[in-house]
Amino acid sequence: MTNQSIGVRDANRTARLDTVTTIIEARGLVMQFPSTRALDQLEVSIPSGVTGLVGANGAGKTTLISLVLGLLKPSAGSISVLGLDPDTSGPELRAQIGYGPERNVFPDDLKAYDFVRHLAEVKGLPRDEARSRASDSLYLVGLGEERFRPLGTMSTGQRQRVKLAQAIAADPRLIVLDEPTDGLDPVQRDEMLNIIVQVNRDFGIDVMLSSHVLEEVERVCDHVVALAEGRLIAQGAMSELAGASGGIELELVDLADRPTSIDDVVTLLIGAGAGVRRSGVTLSVVGFPDDDLFDLAARSVAQAGARVRRLGQHRRTLDDIFATDTHVKPILDISATGMDGTTS
Amino acid sequence: MNAPGRGDAQIVERGFQRYEGRRSGVPGAIRSVSWESIRATLGLGRPARTKIFPVIAVVIAYLPAVVFIGIAVLIPGDILDPEEVADYPGYYGFIILAIVLFAALVAPEVLVSDRRNGMLAMYLSTPLNRGTYLAAKGVAVVTTLGLVTLGPPVLMLIGYTVEGEGPGGLGDWLLTLVRIVLSGIAISAALAAVSMAASSLTDRRAFAAIGIVLVVFAAPVLAAALVEGAELSPYWRVIDISSMPFELVFRIFDQPGNFPELATWSVLASNLVWTIGGIAIVWWRYSKLVIAR
Repeated sequence: MTNQSIGVRDANRTARLDTVTTIIEARGLVMQFPSTRALDQLEVSIPSGVTGLVGANGAGKTTLISLVLGLLKPSAGSISVLGLDPDTSGPELRAQIGYGPERNVFPDDLKAYDFVRHLAEVKGLPRDEARSRASDSLYLVGLGEERFRPLGTMSTGQRQRVKLAQAIAADPRLIVLDEPTDGLDPVQRDEMLNIIVQVNRDFGIDVMLSSHVLEEVERVCDHVVALAEGRLIAQGAMSELAGASGGIELELVDLADRPTSIDDVVTLLIGAGAGVRRSGVTLSVVGFPDDDLFDLAARSVAQAGARVRRLGQHRRTLDDIFATDTHVKPILDISATGMDGTTS
Repeated sequence: MNAPGRGDAQIVERGFQRYEGRRSGVPGAIRSVSWESIRATLGLGRPARTKIFPVIAVVIAYLPAVVFIGIAVLIPGDILDPEEVADYPGYYGFIILAIVLFAALVAPEVLVSDRRNGMLAMYLSTPLNRGTYLAAKGVAVVTTLGLVTLGPPVLMLIGYTVEGEGPGGLGDWLLTLVRIVLSGIAISAALAAVSMAASSLTDRRAFAAIGIVLVVFAAPVLAAALVEGAELSPYWRVIDISSMPFELVFRIFDQPGNFPELATWSVLASNLVWTIGGIAIVWWRYSKLVIAR
């Protein structure tokens, strides 16, 4: 690759970021299936870059992806992707999206090259262009030498790469990847994530990937949208949702003569307006500036007669977003977190 | 030859790049899906085992035409008129089994496989929607069936013509060609609709194929039982999907056919109902299908 071409790509990317700042926007989105509500009043705004869609199985990730692609029609609310309505402008929109599904079942007899070439043609590329880009895409994902192997003979890792290759072959503006590292070992996972980052960084293609592995989302994504049971529980820049200070962490001693001391501390903290997540004898506390939290924790411990083993600042991770306990407040007040990471 | 100099050197960039050229949109997507479906059905670009059944069906369909042309070549026309051995509408009587078996192979391969292996969701994440996807698949099924419904009579026409036994004059020749084309399309459309309908109702290719064969072979038995056994109106014959397309071919060639008691409009209506009914079932099934990944 020449330096000049890198410059052109960077310029392309910059131009794209200038023209589209919000690639997906959902307002009051509801998806009701006969027996379950998969998405409930979802308000999402996803900017350019690499966005992680996180949540446990059944959180609504795949449903949201299906709505983005226009595979499903929302029961209520609206969704806009690349400025288009998937329901009314589906063909035009989908020509600009590459999709890598979660499932790994593809025609076993088909060669990887034929699979990628065919889908590039279906996306509208002329035959000759589809042929050359199928090879280029497979080389990009590291399958250049394996491109004429039937899909049925490929490993899970290779199939994941083929899915990525077909998603990018037609040069989309946005690729949507559903669990792209599913079934991969740690080395393969790292390689796949590196390719995904490269696709965004070098070619300016926006990426939305779903995953239930929070660590990998933290590693590669610029933004995150977190879902739980069909509801939005967090969205924003990764730098704001993870890595920054996330309150304090308080490890207490389980005292035999004061068995309720830890519960008492939790009660006192919540009573003072703090958010608390308890994991055994460890409490994560948020809700005030760190200095105030330290003072509050010290007072609560003293009042409850508890004993402290460790007290320190808590570095926020995506795990915190999902950390909820039925008898304490969620640790992160998501509703107050804006897309730009500011809190109101 | 001049040796290349330093000025001839150039860096040719290889690798993934942006694409800013034209895109073919929905028509290109339909074309590509149709062609790939035809390739899959015939085993093109696939392992040899996938070619066995299509090759057998095609051989069965074309063999009589080759034999009849051979007869025309070997036996002078004043001794034996080739069309006395088999005329164009009568030809289908020799290959009906091949056509039905081919129909039982094609539609399940074209439709069921996509639902089972995830390609349906892949296709619907492209410019195609359910309607244009089904249109592409319909084109593929009709075109592939045309290989056995249209190809052999056309081959026979060409063979007879070369041997000097074809229709007399350009007008008659063109009329025969048009009749052959209409016949091939009529048979392909009716059987494609029925086989696609059966294929839309199950996710097992074998079940779909068996269902198609049962419908096609049970229909004449039921029709005969109603007309001859229960002595109902002869118009009950119109439920016979395995006979009506071929009966329509006789009418296209202006011949009375095997059921002269039936008016031509009823034969035509039967074919239209089977075709439209099959399409309606496919559309209903796919419009209800929840595709979430």
